[in-house]
Amino acid sequence: MQLKGKIAVYGQIALLVVLVLLPFVVTSRYLTHIFTLILLWSFVATAWAYMARFGMVSLGHGVFLGIGAYFPMLMFNYWGVTPWLGILAGLVVAVAVAALLGYTCFRFGLLGDYFALVTLAVAEVSSLTVMALREVTGGSLGCTLCATGRMADMQFEDKRVYYFMALILLMGAVYIWRRIDRSPIRLALTAIEESEIAASSLGVSVIRYKVLITLLSAALTALGGALYAQYVTYVSPDTIAGVSVSLAVCFKAILGGMFTVLGPFVGSAIIVSLEEYIRIALGTSFLGLSQIIFGVTLLLMIIFLPKGILGSISEKIARRLDRVTVR
Amino acid sequence: MLNVRDVNVFYGEFQALDSISLKIEKGQTVIVVGPNGAGKSTLLQTLAGLQKPRLGSIEFDGRRTDQMEAYQVVEHGISLVPEGGRVFPHLSVLDNLKVGSYNKAARSQADTWLPRIFELFPILAQRKKQRAGSLSGGERQMLAIARSLMAQPKLIMLDEPSLGLAPLVVNMVFEFVQTLKQEGYAILLVEQNANKALKVADYAYLIESGKLVFEGSSEDFDKNPYIKTAYLGL
Amino acid sequence: MFDQIVMALLNGILLGGVLALLAFGLNLIFGVVKIIHMAYGQFVMLGFYFIYYFYSSWSVPLIPAMAMGIVAMALIGVLTQLLIINPLLNAPRLNQLLALASLIIVVENLAQVIWGADYRGIPLSMPIIQFGDIYVRSSFLLAFGGAILTLLLLYLFLNRTYLGLGIRAVAQDLDMAKAVGINPKVIYILTLATGGALTGLVAAFFVPIYTVHPHFGASFTLMAFVIVVFGGMGNLLGGFISAFIIGIVTSVTAVLSSAEAANILALALFIGMMMVRPQGLLGTES
Repeated sequence: MQLKGKIAVYGQIALLVVLVLLPFVVTSRYLTHIFTLILLWSFVATAWAYMARFGMVSLGHGVFLGIGAYFPMLMFNYWGVTPWLGILAGLVVAVAVAALLGYTCFRFGLLGDYFALVTLAVAEVSSLTVMALREVTGGSLGCTLCATGRMADMQFEDKRVYYFMALILLMGAVYIWRRIDRSPIRLALTAIEESEIAASSLGVSVIRYKVLITLLSAALTALGGALYAQYVTYVSPDTIAGVSVSLAVCFKAILGGMFTVLGPFVGSAIIVSLEEYIRIALGTSFLGLSQIIFGVTLLLMIIFLPKGILGSISEKIARRLDRVTVR
Repeated sequence: MLNVRDVNVFYGEFQALDSISLKIEKGQTVIVVGPNGAGKSTLLQTLAGLQKPRLGSIEFDGRRTDQMEAYQVVEHGISLVPEGGRVFPHLSVLDNLKVGSYNKAARSQADTWLPRIFELFPILAQRKKQRAGSLSGGERQMLAIARSLMAQPKLIMLDEPSLGLAPLVVNMVFEFVQTLKQEGYAILLVEQNANKALKVADYAYLIESGKLVFEGSSEDFDKNPYIKTAYLGL
Repeated sequence: MFDQIVMALLNGILLGGVLALLAFGLNLIFGVVKIIHMAYGQFVMLGFYFIYYFYSSWSVPLIPAMAMGIVAMALIGVLTQLLIINPLLNAPRLNQLLALASLIIVVENLAQVIWGADYRGIPLSMPIIQFGDIYVRSSFLLAFGGAILTLLLLYLFLNRTYLGLGIRAVAQDLDMAKAVGINPKVIYILTLATGGALTGLVAAFFVPIYTVHPHFGASFTLMAFVIVVFGGMGNLLGGFISAFIIGIVTSVTAVLSSAEAANILALALFIGMMMVRPQGLLGTES
């Protein structure tokens, strides 16, 4: 294996070891909580990146987060259906929406800009729908999970369980990406990106692959939304559906470097930590300041570091290694 | 008047022009011939300021123009008629002509020139208000040339003006080039159709794969056996 | 009920006029610079806040405050061009989209930090005109009249001046425009300044009608997109027609059902149009 590859693999194994040991080494519940959030959002950002890496930029993943969060929670609160089953319902709905969205968009050849706009509109629809159904969902005031503390209801006393659930999900997402990366799907979709016409003339079913990736991304995102709801026990259209959370997911993936495997993780880590820090340092008197900082940072990044932090670093490292080995 | 020295133009890693040098004197008609993809269009685009050479220099009327923006090059007196009868499709014929005199020097002359242009090109006068995109290929080519005149140029560059046009129309175009010549414009004409082009040329250059391969007068071209077979179909 | 529908129709037309201004600005920017201004509604909101600020904090009388707001937004437009759009002219689409989308976040939160989440407004009472059983707010009529007048002036500008010609040329063929002596940088700045000024103008018209809050922009951004895409992106006439269609449809739906239903219907129309005819009503396949 090449040097580059070796560093990547060993680095990831080391990271994994650190993450697994973390809740046992770190005694502060607060820090564990922060890391749980980081892992959760990394998972969602990674799932988002599946689509974005192939040119399907969704500015509306909030709709899947929202479906994944609200369905199990409402089914539990009102009907007592255990989230272990409720999540499945959420997944089915999310996948259905994704299928509809994906098929109609790709069937009619909606390209980059228009697709992004449609997803933005869909996100807004989802947040508006939550608010329109306010008797059921609590509208903009949000919805709280009925607390029972029972495992059967996916509620755990020891919050570290959530940590590991998030970690497993993240590992799953990374693993799935690896498989996609090496599979014919990857080649097909790259070919599609280069030239849809050429690809389809080779018999590659452009639409089928795009829809597949969309379904996968949507399902995983919904799963992330579900876990978020179970963990944080409170959701509202602002935090889990709608445009701002959709954009936040994009930012997390892009900040770290959308095209690298761990880019979304790095991006989420930075953003979640910074958000917490600002929240503590400035309290509620400057609500929104963290968002301003992110917006401006993202702007600067897009202009000066379009490959994201991890992306730029790994590019630099790759170039250095090339120089070393090509001698 | 125009002095091009060792110009090298790259598209990324691909070299489109390799050390091209050419000269045009006032009132001269110079042609550049060569096969498809030789770099003729690239040469004109570079001279117009739409591309920048990585190496080499371009001097026009005493000023260095190789690093100038395209709109500045127009102001200095070089006007490009791009290939394919390229006009602004959604603008009227009249608007296309007006926009030709956009640069500051030409604007004040626009009103006096329009009637002259309409005299030279009666078809355009007829179709004044029509959308330029709805004109025929030949008419669009005429419009493109007329528009380049509105810019008050000293040098007119024509990129394959006969491309895609019917033979009768091609004759018309070349007759027109003669008229321009008589009016005193310096002309740089790029053509695949070497036969027709050589007839109007004072001097000619042959470019193949981005390199200057031959230069000389029309007779020199006629006498050269390689060129005769390869380009003059004899 | 009939009266209500007629009033809704009327209001739809009147608001349609103002929305047509928004559509014009967005279409102009997209047609010329080929970039979708994702935060256009947020710019309107910012214009509103500017006017509010000049009026209440600097005690500038209302009309001059509105004029200053328009100028301020024109400057913001120019800044956007210089700082954000210019560096990204050759960047991939995604980056351009995201850069402007991040403006949404910056502007909304800036408003929240500076002016808080409360609703802000300038209390103005303007007369209500009555035609039999039908009431029309004079603020709406004024807005409509102002919008139509502005659109007329813009039309004249685009079609009778050299700068306007330059803008149309750049929108159709950038390289050719350069080759006839047009400096695209000047055109871009002018376009963004106009686009910005239009948001200030729309904000001025909105002052007697709405109160502003940090999420005010969101519904207008989406509304503007719906209109522009529905009519055909980059097509000025399409945007104009579409503004009235969408204005009437949402107004009548709001009366027949609810405001949220109206928004959902508008968005559904948008998504539907995208799928059936992505180039919009008057757009051309590109």
